[in-house]
Amino acid sequence: MDILAYFASLKPLNLIMSLPGNVAQGVIWGVMALGVYLSYRLLDFPDLTVDGSFATGGAVTVVLILAGVPVPIALVAAVLSGILAGMITGLLHTLLGIPGILAGILTQISLWSVNLMILDGANKAVNVDKFTLIVSLRNIGNSIITALGFAVVLIMLLYWYFGTEQGSAIRATGCNPHMSKAQGINIDNMKVLALCISNGLVALSGGLMSQYQGFADIKMGQGAIVIGLAAVIIGDVLGDALFSKRMNFAIRLIFVVIGGVVYYLVIGLVMWLRMPTDLLKLLTAAIVAVFLAVPYLRSKAKNSFSLAGKRGV
Amino acid sequence: MKKKAISLLLAAMLLLSLTACGGEKTTESPAASIAPSAEASQTYTVGICQLVQHPALDAATQGFKDALTEKLGDKVIFDEQNASGDVPTCAIISNQFVSSNVDLILANATPALQAAQTATSTIPVLGTSITDFATALGLNNWTGATGTNISGTSDLAPLDQQAAMVKELFPDAKNIGILYCSAEANSKYQSQAMTEYLTEMGYSCKDYTFSDSNDLQTVTTAAAAECDVIYLPTDNTVASNTEIIKNVCVPAGVPIIAGEEGICAGCGVATLSISFYDLGYTTGQMAYEILVNGSDPATMQIQYAPIVTKEYNVEIAKALGITIPADYVAIAAE
Repeated sequence: MDILAYFASLKPLNLIMSLPGNVAQGVIWGVMALGVYLSYRLLDFPDLTVDGSFATGGAVTVVLILAGVPVPIALVAAVLSGILAGMITGLLHTLLGIPGILAGILTQISLWSVNLMILDGANKAVNVDKFTLIVSLRNIGNSIITALGFAVVLIMLLYWYFGTEQGSAIRATGCNPHMSKAQGINIDNMKVLALCISNGLVALSGGLMSQYQGFADIKMGQGAIVIGLAAVIIGDVLGDALFSKRMNFAIRLIFVVIGGVVYYLVIGLVMWLRMPTDLLKLLTAAIVAVFLAVPYLRSKAKNSFSLAGKRGV
Repeated sequence: MKKKAISLLLAAMLLLSLTACGGEKTTESPAASIAPSAEASQTYTVGICQLVQHPALDAATQGFKDALTEKLGDKVIFDEQNASGDVPTCAIISNQFVSSNVDLILANATPALQAAQTATSTIPVLGTSITDFATALGLNNWTGATGTNISGTSDLAPLDQQAAMVKELFPDAKNIGILYCSAEANSKYQSQAMTEYLTEMGYSCKDYTFSDSNDLQTVTTAAAAECDVIYLPTDNTVASNTEIIKNVCVPAGVPIIAGEEGICAGCGVATLSISFYDLGYTTGQMAYEILVNGSDPATMQIQYAPIVTKEYNVEIAKALGITIPADYVAIAAE
């Protein structure tokens, strides 16, 4: 009977009503996931800088908006701060020979101090009643449109850029650094460049998120890499299921953003289920794990041994 | 081909499972939407958004629920959510409360309050465990009430009295170290106010900040070496790691004055204590005023903890050989 009462207490309408907000936040994090996609998938460089540069983007945006700078300029500054953060990670890795993961971690922890200095504390509010913000929890409809606008323009730019000679060189560097080097590509420069672009996107997303939630907090980037990776992988799985091998680069990028949206829909669902609140992380991890498991189980089902087994050979 | 169809189906099911539970019942939505408003005269839905699992915040939430349940019985329904420390999740929770149109939101800790403030300008919001409302909300011209849909309770223990306590117990000390986590805006605020009071009394103060529990021991050791007395504000990270601080400071012979009872019980000598349960309870009474008596949060003054008591830690005071005046109450050993 308790179980029936539990299901009766869930209000489906509430879940539907909360969807737009989750979508808005998902698209904003989708922009962040585009950045993670560039480093993790294209460059094959697991870049942990993003936990720091996400908060840096948010901090720069909020501080500048509070100082009276127009929002677009504040966002450009946020992107520049992210580019700088990516460049530091890149240079630590290429110039000083520090392994990639460690270089990212070093930049990430140093950004903690930098962000404290930028914010002059741990937390700064940007009150939506006093400033004109381009995205806000207060106005979710507009936020979705604006965030989607950003995502579409960015995907078009990335699609164009990674088709140019330089962009192709970055992709080649990720695929096979030795071969790329042999072809005369300066792979160190390409790595730094890709990390700059990636963290620029992450910081832009941080700038949007701080406006959306109405504050920047030193901890807002904590775990960002996990959300980014989850979005990239969820996007991959969905894209593969729907388009199989016909996915081109643009569709992959689109599915990265969709992955971000799905991730936040999952979080919204877990919240709506009103499970004991301590279970939030466990349930989220379980649902993401299901997405991760699908491609593996599919490939296992397709492999020749199991096919042979079914044929009875 | 069959395999592909199955895998497609699997992926589609995953997607659908997210929306299906909502989708299948859309036909009932008129009934569902009428139900809450019809009941509105009798039952109240209160959304609780807490930033992280933490003894003080948990106590405040419990106090809030107890106060409202005492007054309203089963006419109040709590939708309790915890962001488990993820700041962006506060926005998701706030959005959920606003879209399901709860009657009141309790925001426990600063980022939760900020997200709720951004999410709604109409639903009453009460904050608790907030140290400084003006900074948290980005308001100028602070008058003690917000002038918007927000009110609540502050966990600020009277810092001037805490500074007086330092003077009372350690009149001969010179250097006071203030130890806190650099990620906590509340702690920095308290440190600044405390420095002002203590400097006025003739002490010299220095801040020792750490970024997380990993640096805590190193920073504490440095503070213990340079200071005569250490002050700990109501810092959440400190509260979770009092054992580390105790193991450094007691052997070094450096006494600690703490901002709240929990920290004092772990590693302090004395404190001027507020109870987060009482704070939450006061917030619950404010919620009752808003929900039932129609009070306007815009004009409700921010409340502080109702009772403060001078308390001391028997074991540590004895270990350090400090004589505690008679008007201090011993913290009960657990």
